[in-house]
Amino acid sequence: MKTRTTRLGLAVAAIAVTALTLAACGSGRTSTPAASKSGGGSIIVGTTDKVTTLDPAGSYDNGSFHVQTQVFSFLMSFEPGGAVLAPDAAKSCSFTSDVVYTCILKDGLKFANGNPLTAASVKYSFERQLKINDPNGPASLLANLGSVAVVNPTTVAFTLTAANDQTFPQVLASPVGPIVDEASFPADKLLDDNAIVTAKATSGPYTIASYNKNTLVEFKPYAGYQGVQGSVQNAGVTLKYYADSNNLKLDIASAAIDIATRSLSPTDIESLGKTKGVKVVTGPGGEIRYVVFNLNTMPGDNADQKLAIRKAFALLVDRSELSTQVYKGTYTPLYSYVPEGLPGAAKPFSDLYGTKPDLAAATKALSDAGVSTPVTLHLQYNPDHYGSSSDQEYNAVKRQLEASGLFKIELQATEWVTYAKERSADAYPAYQLGWFPDFSDADNYLTPFFDKDNFLHSHFENADISALLESERTDGNPTTRAATIQKIQTELASKYIPTVPLLQGAQVAVAVDAVSGVEKTLNASFQFRYSVLSKG
Amino acid sequence: MAVRILPRSPLLRYLAVRLALIVPTVLILVTVVFFFMRVVGDPITAALGGRLSPDQLAARRTAAGFDRPILNQYLEYLGRLLHGDFGTALTDRRQISEVLVTNGAATLELTFWALIVAFAVGVPLGRLAARYRDRIGDVSIRVFAILVYAAPVFFLGLLLKLLFSSTLGWLPASGRAAPAVALELQHVTPRTNIMIVDAILYGDTGYVFDVLRHAIMPALALGLLTAGVFIRLIRINLLETMRTDYVMAARARGVSEAKVVRKHAFRNALVPIVTVMGMQIAMMLGGAILTETTFEWQGLGYMLTHYLLARDFVAVQGIVTAIAVVVAVTSFLIDIINALVDPRVRY
Repeated sequence: MKTRTTRLGLAVAAIAVTALTLAACGSGRTSTPAASKSGGGSIIVGTTDKVTTLDPAGSYDNGSFHVQTQVFSFLMSFEPGGAVLAPDAAKSCSFTSDVVYTCILKDGLKFANGNPLTAASVKYSFERQLKINDPNGPASLLANLGSVAVVNPTTVAFTLTAANDQTFPQVLASPVGPIVDEASFPADKLLDDNAIVTAKATSGPYTIASYNKNTLVEFKPYAGYQGVQGSVQNAGVTLKYYADSNNLKLDIASAAIDIATRSLSPTDIESLGKTKGVKVVTGPGGEIRYVVFNLNTMPGDNADQKLAIRKAFALLVDRSELSTQVYKGTYTPLYSYVPEGLPGAAKPFSDLYGTKPDLAAATKALSDAGVSTPVTLHLQYNPDHYGSSSDQEYNAVKRQLEASGLFKIELQATEWVTYAKERSADAYPAYQLGWFPDFSDADNYLTPFFDKDNFLHSHFENADISALLESERTDGNPTTRAATIQKIQTELASKYIPTVPLLQGAQVAVAVDAVSGVEKTLNASFQFRYSVLSKG
Repeated sequence: MAVRILPRSPLLRYLAVRLALIVPTVLILVTVVFFFMRVVGDPITAALGGRLSPDQLAARRTAAGFDRPILNQYLEYLGRLLHGDFGTALTDRRQISEVLVTNGAATLELTFWALIVAFAVGVPLGRLAARYRDRIGDVSIRVFAILVYAAPVFFLGLLLKLLFSSTLGWLPASGRAAPAVALELQHVTPRTNIMIVDAILYGDTGYVFDVLRHAIMPALALGLLTAGVFIRLIRINLLETMRTDYVMAARARGVSEAKVVRKHAFRNALVPIVTVMGMQIAMMLGGAILTETTFEWQGLGYMLTHYLLARDFVAVQGIVTAIAVVVAVTSFLIDIINALVDPRVRY
C-alpha cells in the first residue's frame, strides 16, 4: 500500500515532468512564438563584442564601432561590397592644398531628429573629439589635425600639421570620424547612450529603435540616409550580445539567431561548417598576429647575433601548420607586415625565408654570426586576450623551433593586464602581440610599429625606415606610394626583422541559409555593415 | 550614571549586536575588494595595452585619475558610498545603481526559480530518504544528492544544455527570453526587469511560456545544487527527530508511521534547517555567477564576470558591496527567525 508521503512525492515528480514537457513543447521549437512579429526581412545578429559607449568621443573598440558604423554617418566610408573609400555624407573630399583637406557635404542632410547636418556639425564633431580626449577614446587618431574650419554651410576644411597625409581620408572613416548632432551632444563631455538614442542624434543607415546596452539593440532603417551604403536591404536588425561564444554557437546552430559574428572559436567554426541550415562565410581579415623581439633583452651578444637569431626564428617557424592545425584555416599564414589585400602588400618573408622550415639556412645564419646553439629564448604569450587558441599556437611554435635543435624555448603565459604592462617594461625578450587596424591602409600596419616613438617599445628605431614611412604617408601617387610601402616591408624583413609576422585572421561570419549578403560585408573595409544583409 | 546603549531584553540585545556586526563585515569586504582590484590592473591597460605606447597609456591613466594617492581614492569612494553613490562603471559608463537594479532583478528572478527547484526537489526527497532509511530508495536519493551537490554548477549547466538544447532541441540554450520577446518586454510599463512578471503584465501567454522555457535549465543547474544540501539535511534531522521520546510515544499510542513523520517529526526537523537555508541562499548568489555566465542570464553575477575581466574596479566594488549587504541582511533575518523559533539558541 502506498503511503501518503510516497504519493505526494510521486505527485511532485509527475508535476515537474509534466511542466517540463509542456514548457518544452509550448511552442514546439526553440524559436519564439512572437518571431513573426519582428517582420519578414528582419535579421537577428549575435556577437560577443561589447559596447563601451555609443558616443564616438569615448570609445576605441570593436564593439562600440560595430554599432556606430550602423547609426552614424561619416565624411568618408566604404562602398558596399568592397574596400574602396568613397564620400559618405560628403559629396567630395580632396586636398585643396598641401595641408588643407576639404570636404563638400551633400545637400539637405538631416539627423534622424530632423536637425540639419551641416559643416558646423562636422567641425563640432572633430573639435569635440580633441577637447574631450577621453582616456578610452580615439582622439589619438587626430594627431595630425591642426584645425577645422567652416568655409560655408556645406564645406568644411581640415588643416593638417603634416602635409599631404594620405592616411587622413582613412581616418575620416575610422572610429574618430562619426558626425554628431551639435544640438544634442555636449562639447566637453560624453553623452549617455540612452540620451543619444532618445535624442535620435544619428544620421547613418539605421536608427536605434530600442537599446538595452550589451543585451539587445534594435536597429530600424533611417529613410533620410543619403550615404555611400545606399538603401538598406532589410526591414531592420536586432543585435544580441553574448558573453560566451559557446552560447553564440549553439544559438546559430539552432537558428535562434540569423548571423553570428565576432567571435567564434576555430573549432566551433569548423563544426558549424558541417551543420545543416547554416553556412560559414569568410572574407579577408585585417587582424594580424606576430612575435615582437625586444632588441635590448633578447639573446645575442651583439646586434649581428641578435639579427641572426631573429632570422633563424623566421626560417624555422611553420605558419602553415599553425594555420591548419591550430586555427583550422580561420587564420592564414602571413609573410609580411602588411596583410594581403591591401595596396602595397608584399610577401618578403616567403621570398627571403621560404614557406617551409629551412634548417640548413637557419643553422648557417646562426653559425655565421657566431651564435652558439641551442639558443635559449624566453617566449611570452597571453592566453586570454587573443583567444583560447593562443596556448596551442605558442606550444606549436615552441615545438617547431625546438625540433630543429637550434632553440630551447622557455614558454610562459601571463594574464593580459600584467602582460600589457610588462611587455613595455623590458620584461619579455620575445612575446606575442596582435593588431586590429584603425583604418584600412597599409600605413596603419607600419607607422605605429616601426616609426619613432612607436607603441611596441621594443627599442627598434631606424632613421631610414622612418624616412621611408614619411615618404609613403605624404605620397599622393598611389603607384609610387605602393612601391615605397613594398620597399619598407622588404627592408624590414631583410635587414632588421624587429617583429616576425605569423598569421592573418580572416573575417568569419556564420549565417542561416535564408540570409544573403554576408559575403558583401566581409571585405577589406573590416566593417560589418547591416545594410547589405537580406533575409528570405 | 551609565548610559544604556543596548536594550534590556536579551533577545533584542542579541539582535542589536547581530545588526551592528553587519557594518564592519561589509566595510572589511569593501576595503579588501577596493585594494585588491587596484593591484590587478586598470581598465585602460586592459582595453588598450596592446595598441598604445607606455607613455600614451600613462597619460590616459593620469587623465582618468588612476594615479592619485590610493588612500585619497579610497576615502573618496567610502564617502560616496555612504551617500548611496556607487559610481559609474569605467568601461561601459553605466550607473552602478542602475546595474544593481536592472541586473539585480535578473539575479533575484534566477534565485527565485532555483529556490523553487531546491524546495520542490530537496524537501520531498529528504523526507522519502528518511522514511525509507537504509533501503534502496534512501541509498538512491543519497547518491543523487551527493552527485548534484558535488557537481560544479557550470558543469551541470553544460550537461543540461548538451542534453536538452543541443541534442533534443527542447529548450533554448541561453538567455532569459527569445530576442523578439525580450524586445517587446522592454516596452512594458511598469517594467520590473523580472522577465516572468513583465511577461505576465504584457499579457501574452506565449511570452510567458517562452520566459519559463528559458528559466528551466538555469533554475535546475542552480537549484539542484542546493537541493542536494536540503536532501541530506532534512534526512539527517528527520532521522534524529524520529528517535526522540515524543515520537516514540506517538508510535506507542498507535499513530501511523506516515502521520508520525508528517505531523510530529517533520515540522520539528525543519527548525535547524532554517539557519542552513539562509546560508544556502547566500551561497546561491555565488553559484549564480557561474550559472548566469553559462546561460547568458544577465544578472549581477554575469555583469561581475564581465567587469572583472575588464578590470572595471568601480563596477566590481559596487556589485560586491551590494551582494555583501544582501548576504549580511539575509543572515541577520535568518538569525531573527532562528532566535524566535529555536529554543536552543542562547542569547
